[in-house]
Amino acid sequence: MARVVVLGAGVSGHTAALYLRKLLPKEHEVVVVNPKPTYNWIPSNIWVGVGKMSHEDVVFDLAPIYAKKGVTFVQAKAFALWPDGDADDARPAVEVEHTSPGREGEIERLRYDYVVNATGPKLNFGATPGLGPDGGHTLSVCTPDHATEASSRLEELKGILRTRKQTVVIGVGHGTCTCEGAAFEYTFNVEHELREAGVRDNADIVYLTNENELGDFGVGGMQFEQNGFRTTSQLWTESLFRERGVRAITGAAVTSIEPGVIHYDQLDGSHRDLGFDFAMLLPPFKGNDWKAYDRAGADITSTIFAPSGFLKVDADYTPRPYEEWSAKDWPRTYQNPTYRNVFAVGIAFAPPHQISKPRATPDGLAVAPSPPRTGMPSGTMGKVVAKSIADMILRGAPEPTHGASMSEMAAACVASAGHGMRSGTAASMTMSPVVPDWEKYPETGRDLRATRGEIGLAGHWVKRMLHTLFIYKAKARPGWTWIPE
Amino acid sequence: MDNIDQRTTDERLAQAPLPTARELRRRRNVVVQFARFVGTSWTMWRLAQKHH
Repeated sequence: MARVVVLGAGVSGHTAALYLRKLLPKEHEVVVVNPKPTYNWIPSNIWVGVGKMSHEDVVFDLAPIYAKKGVTFVQAKAFALWPDGDADDARPAVEVEHTSPGREGEIERLRYDYVVNATGPKLNFGATPGLGPDGGHTLSVCTPDHATEASSRLEELKGILRTRKQTVVIGVGHGTCTCEGAAFEYTFNVEHELREAGVRDNADIVYLTNENELGDFGVGGMQFEQNGFRTTSQLWTESLFRERGVRAITGAAVTSIEPGVIHYDQLDGSHRDLGFDFAMLLPPFKGNDWKAYDRAGADITSTIFAPSGFLKVDADYTPRPYEEWSAKDWPRTYQNPTYRNVFAVGIAFAPPHQISKPRATPDGLAVAPSPPRTGMPSGTMGKVVAKSIADMILRGAPEPTHGASMSEMAAACVASAGHGMRSGTAASMTMSPVVPDWEKYPETGRDLRATRGEIGLAGHWVKRMLHTLFIYKAKARPGWTWIPE
Repeated sequence: MDNIDQRTTDERLAQAPLPTARELRRRRNVVVQFARFVGTSWTMWRLAQKHH
């Protein structure tokens, strides 16, 4: 009997757990460790943040799903790995602190044969003084609670805009943030809501981003073929900003936030201030506060985890200048090179480098969008790791049997730009691969037949359909495996 | 140095192509958009199947 412990129940971890349970006979145990009792379909938090969906629409309890499927659920936060075992037991273990009512603070070591780290990011609001809703001066849509608060503040803003002008700033709150697509979505959803409320004329909406140019989205932008021309996501995005009257500040690293004022540096070395009445700025991500120990209790954290806190996998982490980066640097199996029974998927794996070109201010402040590792690629990683572990357990495969590199896999991104079955709109993008492969596609880095972009009402319907389908899939309802990641 | 300053971003936005009235109608037209909904969904499903 083997025991597989999956840490985290987001898109990648939950997908891995459901596939492991499907692939492994019942004598093998699948355990999921998650600090919260609920699953959150994060892409729809944007709609919670503008009051178009409720907290309950994007969240459901995990325990009944896992009970139905035969997965053991442990509500706890994992914080240390003992991959060689400890003084009491040679079996590897993960150390967790329980968070369920009645067991809060209880420490336990869970033994495992295989472990999948899918703990996602730590929302690092602390990286920028004054950032975030908890003790800071800005809003967030990263969690359902944050998004609910943003929604109620947006309602207040609508009331104020009926009588006077206000400045709305939406974007990212640090030079190394990722998920610019989410900030883009919230910008245009807020713009749409203010227009629907008849108060748009009094709002100066500013998109504040670390992207060097609009349309970068942390993936270095895209090139499309459209109406007989080859165009770029930059031109396409700029067109939308002009059409909707949204200002943009690019190449910015927010350095601190005071009540009503955002301080930021730009790539030309300038130090600037931006006043605001309403601000939603996403935080940078870092890995969770992991520690790792050998059997004697010596600290081996740096063997398993990168300094960022993300887990090292089969990527090429050799430091190289941007010009020498290769698609081959990116991992395929998500297996730790030192401990072959340790895997990491989704945001939890350490990427070898950014996808967008990293830049810095003359003062050395990084303005470098981090690579997105969410959504479709995240679910795919969870699935391939589950298949590999199942083969290693059932067939004794010495190595992972499945792989999915971000330099090979495609991704679809539907960025909402307004909610409504008749008035909604979204930018639908597909790209293949996510990480450009300049050897295979020397002209644009990507397959132009599969890299497309389109704006329209259809995109809103697609995103709304994906909300329903992916929550259905996450609830493991009949036929869930037919819905692709 | 390939850094783009704020003035350049403002200038680019001021010169960005605006969709025509016809294009805006197309983006709202329920029949056209239903066809695009089917097309986009099919493209995404095919990509997901092909690459995974």
